[in-house]
Amino acid sequence: MLSIQNLEAKIDNKNILNGLNLNINPGEVHAIMGPNGSGKSTLANVLSGKNGYETKGQIKFNGENLSDLTTEKRAQKGIFLAFQYPLEIPGVNTNIFLRTSLNALRKAKGEKEIDTLTFLKLIKEKASELGIDEKFLSRQLNVGFSGGEKKKNEILQMKLLQPKLSILDETDSGLDIDALRIVADGVNSYKNKNNAFLIITHYQRLLDYIKPDFIHVLSNGKIAKTGGAELGVELEKTGYTNIA
Amino acid sequence: MKQFYDFKIEKIKNLSPEDKSLRKENLDLFYKNGFPNKKYEDWKFTDLNSILSKNFDNITNKDFLLDSKKLNLINEFDHNHIFLIDGKLISSDFNFEDRNKISIIDFNYKNNMTIDKNNSLNLLNNALACGGFTLEISKNYKLNKPLIIYNYYSKNLKETIINNKNSIILNDNSELTLINYIDNNSKDNFMVNSMENIEIKRDALLKNIFINNSKNASYFYKYIKSDLEKNSVFENYILSSGLKFNKLDIEINLNQEYAKSTVFSALNLLESEHQEIKTRINHNSQNCQSYQKIKNVLSDQSKGVYQGKIFVKKIAQKTDAYQLSKALILNDDAEFDAKPELEIYADDVKCSHGSTSGNIDLDSLHYLKSRGIPEKEAYKMLISGFLSDTLEKLTEENVKFFLLKKLEDQINGN
Repeated sequence: MLSIQNLEAKIDNKNILNGLNLNINPGEVHAIMGPNGSGKSTLANVLSGKNGYETKGQIKFNGENLSDLTTEKRAQKGIFLAFQYPLEIPGVNTNIFLRTSLNALRKAKGEKEIDTLTFLKLIKEKASELGIDEKFLSRQLNVGFSGGEKKKNEILQMKLLQPKLSILDETDSGLDIDALRIVADGVNSYKNKNNAFLIITHYQRLLDYIKPDFIHVLSNGKIAKTGGAELGVELEKTGYTNIA
Repeated sequence: MKQFYDFKIEKIKNLSPEDKSLRKENLDLFYKNGFPNKKYEDWKFTDLNSILSKNFDNITNKDFLLDSKKLNLINEFDHNHIFLIDGKLISSDFNFEDRNKISIIDFNYKNNMTIDKNNSLNLLNNALACGGFTLEISKNYKLNKPLIIYNYYSKNLKETIINNKNSIILNDNSELTLINYIDNNSKDNFMVNSMENIEIKRDALLKNIFINNSKNASYFYKYIKSDLEKNSVFENYILSSGLKFNKLDIEINLNQEYAKSTVFSALNLLESEHQEIKTRINHNSQNCQSYQKIKNVLSDQSKGVYQGKIFVKKIAQKTDAYQLSKALILNDDAEFDAKPELEIYADDVKCSHGSTSGNIDLDSLHYLKSRGIPEKEAYKMLISGFLSDTLEKLTEENVKFFLLKKLEDQINGN
């Protein structure tokens, strides 16, 4: 599904990624761990098509060159990034945002736009699965939401938009245990053999709930070590210093 | 500079000799000053004289032409209406109300001449005004439905100026929601110069909304002087227009304690549109509140100006005054000027102001795009979000919905 070869990324003339290789197949859950500044969020940003990065190397998503696609096209093709810091957008109603987004994706696929009533029923159902109070949906997007509410809202968007590849950028940071479990349940219930996950995290904690097939340790903009779920437990004990 | 105007009081019919001589006095004073230019503090960012001289060959005043026009009522919500053509009262309809509680008549010019020598447009208005209305709401009467004032304009107004005066009086404990609605798509260059006097008595509430449905080459200036009594409320909501030039000059006098005023503005300016909001809030008594939030989005070669002054008299202790101006400037050729002014003589007051300008937040744009929303649409969502929060405080849901829709249409370029 996703194939990254020799990816380099620079911002403000500073090298962040230095030849990163990664392959993700449908049905797989990959976790990327690593110390602060190792390039985890940069990888997420580059995959989402954020401006400001100078990149080299190749990223292919289902055979297509990602660098040819704008951010919105990538989303329409099935890439979803759950933001580390979801943006607050004053004046934009959450429900309207969600519907606009869903319809943009449907339109891109040549499907009919969803009408308001059907949408409201759908979003209510998805929100209740995540324990999100309906009244949040009529508020301005993320404005005044707590850290946990913002992260839940990201998972709600994921479940609504049904991406092929979900990138979760430190979705666990700032979550209490209950919220963490809800978020993990959200991911687990969405997981199937046709979609894949790239989970970026500092801690083993989240991986206790979402079992990864692979754990990669990122160091100095490269993958320094790859292992199975057991690597996370090991890292928790030894830290990153031995790997880099 | 060549003279590009020629005004004659003789064109106005049925004037008494006293009226004529008063008008003459005003006209002479106007001719001394001409149209305002940047030398005047209130026109610091705008040389109206030069703008007009470039766009008019010879502005004249006329008596009423009064094309017969069919009124197209807004059907989104129930409302009362007043119908004006070229500023003259044509008809009114208060079917939703107790008719005895409302008086609407032609403006009476006999009792209403004031001379403000500092404002040359006021002088010109004093000299040439005709038409207009006086609206009065009885004590304790709260209108059931909003009132829309439909402002239509005749076809052949090329190179002319319309001057008129209105007066609105809300007696004790009365309430009115007023929508000033301009509907005009004339390609002709003409000018409208109006003066409005508003009196809001004890415990009364006036909501004053400005919206229009136009795209035209006209130049509007409106001066509003309002006086508020104890515990009264004056709310203003100003939405953008497609007018070539528009300046709203609002003076609010908080004359008795616990009076409260707000000015909210959401302007989305395109092409070479020029819009100004000038406010002067006079805190003349203690415990009054004033709040202003001015938002502008500027595209193309448009220009926006906000001059907001808060004046706090020595006796106006416990004043709570706030003003905020935020602008999104989307094009290098667009311009926004803001001049906040605080003049405070009392020592126990809460006064603050803020002013920011910038472009669309790129991280927010990225966030929306990362959800598959095309860039253009994401831009519009952010612009609409930026502007629409100025309508948050408006409690009439159906009116608010209508205004949001208009705002949306403007942003989508419909």
